[in-house]
Amino acid sequence: MTRPPTDRTLPADVTISEDDIARDARALGVVWSEPPGFWGWLTTVDHKKLGKRLIVTSFLMFLAGGIEAALMRAQLSRPENSLIGPDRYNQLFTTHGTTMMFLFAVPVMTAMGLYFVPLMVGARTLAFPRLNAFGYWNYVVGVVFLYVSLFVNMGPDTGWFAYVPLSGPQYSPGHRVDVWAQVVTFTEISALAGAVNVIVTAFKMRAPGMTVNRIPIFVWSQIVVAFMIVFAMPAVATASTLMLATDRAVTMHWFNPAEGGDALLWQHIFWFFGHPEVYIIFLPAMGMITPIIETFCRRKVFGYTPIVMANITTAFFAFGLWVHHMFATPIPELGQSLFTAASILIAIPTGIQIFCWLATMWMSRPQLTVPILFVLGFLFTFVNGGITGVMLASVAFDKQAHDTFFVVAHLHYVLLGGGVMPLFGAIYFWFPKMTGRLLGETLGKWHFWLFTIGVNVTFFPMHILGLEGMPRRMYTYLEPTGWGPLNLVASIGAATIAVSVLLFLINVIATMRRAPNAGPNPWKSSGLEWSVASPPPSYDFLYAPVVESRHPLWDTTIDLPVLTGFRTDRREVLVTTTFSAEPDSRHEHPTPSIWPFYLALCMGVVFIGSIFSPWFVLGGLGLSIIGLAGWGWSGTKPTHHERVATPVAVPERA
Amino acid sequence: MKTFRAAGTVGELPTVTFGNRSLMWWGTLGFMVIEGWTSALILAAYLYLRQNYDSWPPLTIPYPSLLIPTINLGFFLLSIVPAIFAARAAKQLDEARVKRWLIVQCVACVIPLVLRWWELWALNARWDTNAYGSAAWTIVGFHTSLLVLDVIDTLGLTLFYFLKQMPVKAFSDVADNSFYWYFTVGAWVVIYAIVYVGPRIL
Amino acid sequence: MHSVLDPASPQARAVAHLWWWFFGVGAAVWLAVMATMLLSLRGRRAVRGADDLMQPAPGVEARVERLVKGATFVTVLILLGFLTYDFSVGRILAQQPTNPLTIQLIGHQWWWEAQYEDQDLTKRIVTANEMHVPVGQPVRFILTSRDVIHSFWVPNLTGKRDLIPGYQSTIWFQADTAGTYRGQCAEFCGLQHAKMALTIIAQPKAQYQLWFAAAVSSQTEPTDSTLLYGERIFMTTGCSVCHAISGTEARATVGPNLTHFKSRTMIAAGTLPNTRENVARWVLNPQVIKPGTQMPPSPLNTAQLSALLTYLETLK
Repeated sequence: MTRPPTDRTLPADVTISEDDIARDARALGVVWSEPPGFWGWLTTVDHKKLGKRLIVTSFLMFLAGGIEAALMRAQLSRPENSLIGPDRYNQLFTTHGTTMMFLFAVPVMTAMGLYFVPLMVGARTLAFPRLNAFGYWNYVVGVVFLYVSLFVNMGPDTGWFAYVPLSGPQYSPGHRVDVWAQVVTFTEISALAGAVNVIVTAFKMRAPGMTVNRIPIFVWSQIVVAFMIVFAMPAVATASTLMLATDRAVTMHWFNPAEGGDALLWQHIFWFFGHPEVYIIFLPAMGMITPIIETFCRRKVFGYTPIVMANITTAFFAFGLWVHHMFATPIPELGQSLFTAASILIAIPTGIQIFCWLATMWMSRPQLTVPILFVLGFLFTFVNGGITGVMLASVAFDKQAHDTFFVVAHLHYVLLGGGVMPLFGAIYFWFPKMTGRLLGETLGKWHFWLFTIGVNVTFFPMHILGLEGMPRRMYTYLEPTGWGPLNLVASIGAATIAVSVLLFLINVIATMRRAPNAGPNPWKSSGLEWSVASPPPSYDFLYAPVVESRHPLWDTTIDLPVLTGFRTDRREVLVTTTFSAEPDSRHEHPTPSIWPFYLALCMGVVFIGSIFSPWFVLGGLGLSIIGLAGWGWSGTKPTHHERVATPVAVPERA
Repeated sequence: MKTFRAAGTVGELPTVTFGNRSLMWWGTLGFMVIEGWTSALILAAYLYLRQNYDSWPPLTIPYPSLLIPTINLGFFLLSIVPAIFAARAAKQLDEARVKRWLIVQCVACVIPLVLRWWELWALNARWDTNAYGSAAWTIVGFHTSLLVLDVIDTLGLTLFYFLKQMPVKAFSDVADNSFYWYFTVGAWVVIYAIVYVGPRIL
Repeated sequence: MHSVLDPASPQARAVAHLWWWFFGVGAAVWLAVMATMLLSLRGRRAVRGADDLMQPAPGVEARVERLVKGATFVTVLILLGFLTYDFSVGRILAQQPTNPLTIQLIGHQWWWEAQYEDQDLTKRIVTANEMHVPVGQPVRFILTSRDVIHSFWVPNLTGKRDLIPGYQSTIWFQADTAGTYRGQCAEFCGLQHAKMALTIIAQPKAQYQLWFAAAVSSQTEPTDSTLLYGERIFMTTGCSVCHAISGTEARATVGPNLTHFKSRTMIAAGTLPNTRENVARWVLNPQVIKPGTQMPPSPLNTAQLSALLTYLETLK
């Protein structure tokens, strides 16, 4: 077997002829295609189609959450306003938080990973295409369930973190909180499916030569976040599905102090998830900034290794901060102090990333394209949020600011500044790759300026409101408090944000109506994803690219070295070794399948049904067995010409 | 667009692999980490609740009985044997032996599932009696879901092997199924120790 | 008004100082980052190389590397500095008070029950939503909840502390300036979380003693016929099912204790000023003012209502 050498000049081999390329492309196009029509749409396992679908669905959730926010801002724009009553308001703020955190932020970051990780590591698709589809459809079940419930006045109303005992059976009778608990279940299944896919793809399907220290920083951030999802999501699922839902449905006593249960246990488990959750949103956004800066500063980023280490360190630290959400509770002071220290020190790795980016920009001449503008907006906004975060880490100060609009200000500064702004920049940056078209620059600039101004006008006054004594989650406030004027300013800011997002939508729609006009690499960027067509063909890569550096497209001068010899009569992907990325085996990948969609519906029956009767759980389980059988059966088609690896007694070369 | 230079071929690479060379093995490992971590979290919550009581189990609730759970623990540990042999046969691509050991594995994993019913009641507290009962039932119940999943997987694989000619790569699935079974048993050993034996000695 | 930055106690003052330091240093850091960002846009330190990538001028890269390391080092120093300052403030706040006035504060949906502790059982004041405290003496609150989690927060006087069912927690402060301080529930507790305010009235020692003496005294039985009629309305149309007035046969503890009701400045947990008209509106239909509140409407006719209000106005 010939294997490409990884650390010396490649021999001057043959340039592949155009005829060969055309023939292979035709064959692969057939093998990697979908059935036509609606059935094809339902059964697709194409990571790009599913990734785009998830991005679009998440953005719809962003709009929904935005409308909820707009309604709240309208209600709060005047003291003692009667636009929205307490019951409706409580459903709105709960759904806003739940939508933004569970149905927009994490899914959209996951979606960018599911779309781009294979393309950036040179793989033809994800490791588990059907699992990817299963994850997407579970997410859709969650979306539909939440919003149908909201419209039939069964929307959850105890906040996106649903503290007990308020959310328990005694103080929240009915099914509103059960809706929340199960929406969490579906989004958890979806996130975990995505995480496993990202980890295994990034570990085992990288292009030959892409050793660990050549992995693109975007991919590093996705790997780190995938691990965080694996360890954080089970906590919220345990709390919501196994504890809260059972307290409510079958009279368990996890959180009932009268029977030995504990109201603080909920907070511990929830925030053990909840704090890493915000870094799960934030770190992928950081991962998007590096390629944008590299491309428009036309420079390799300063400090690749410190940035990677900062990502990993942040992820570890993130699991040690959760008690800072509980400083007002009777947890011993000494314990609280440890969490103060961790919460302050986590600023260091984040700061290091920012310094590296500033250094890169300093040693270059940044082109002020829309993606770079959003990076600047990120710096302007997020650094502010990071600083208020350090303030809130102090127990003494937090006891004044906790649960006030100061926290609302902080969290929106970091989520919008540190999450959404890089995301918008990333959308403008990768839009041509995903659709073959470049978004309009002028509209983009209007979008950027209005969004940045809007965010700051909306949320800066909230710092002051919090210090002026305004707690969170109030459907109204009295006139003598004096909170009226700043609330009005915030509401005007919110309207500005709405206009900016509208401009973005117009930009997207108008651009999609134009003919494709972007080639494979309109920005002359360096990653492997820019070596394929825009949008990429169904099989992503015609051959397996071989990588010799961190910036393949900037460092290869003439041809791209590739490995050939894949079968063109079935879907074949290359599996490589974990650390040194040497070619190790080929794997036959699954074709389109209905079973992921079917099984996701079964999950819907099981978990939504569990709210109403245990028979649904049993029935759903039975239906699921059919689905599992179908899924397994469709993987048992006989194949020919298999080559079996030597028995497992020979361990993998590291 | 740049042109391509052929720098090697993959035609000689194997298409069926076992262990950490196989993607499905990694998927199984991922599932195990997630479910194992979830179990650890539930156990941590179970132990956290102890501080709300003077005695554990709470007064009026007897210790969990050890008879059936210990017998079942024996069955769990025994069941590892057919799993090991099935995996070994699979790596040697011996279909006849695989089918034989799969049948034994089916029996070996269904027995603990059946006994699980009595194991739950051996806790001597209902899930709705108090927080102790809720916690104990939740952790044992959660493990039961893992058990059910593996029984379905084992039964399904066995059925498929007898219903049709399975492809070569299915041997890798047999090995992964055994891998998952080791985890299920291992997790149970920990839960048994903490929930059934723990209150008596701690 | 009720601002964190308008402290009336040493505890709140320590935090306000901490805030201003945080703000000053934080603003300076933000400005430094913005300046670096803007300066870097001018791009005078780099040229485009043959490979179409930007190359910095010679020597710049080494200098930048030193700057990044320096910035990281300075960041660590600033953060460690804050950590130390914060710990020292925490130690101050954690000191236990000597000889405090102790008040049990119990959270309900959506009002505050206050019980003043005293060795002498006859001097145990039970009141709701409004508390008087002496200036210059530490006041310690023992906090718990009857239903869901609430949070006690009076920004001028102290940081907040949660009221958690199944737990008892304490917080203390010492008011050093006389005044009326508004607080609000700071943990979402259901439909009327927004209207669960409280008032702390800090009075100089002498005035506090006067208030205390009046507060521990029982209501005297009315003699006037209108007042008797009003009292009968209170006792027979449902009020006494939930509300207690010491010195009468009304002893229920479901709702706020109404002893000395007329002396309170606000009603319905700080929602409305305590005027005859507001009390009338509240009594007739609390659901209009605080939808979801536990108190049902009272179907009283004009004469009954008038007598009741007049009776309540005698509860000074």
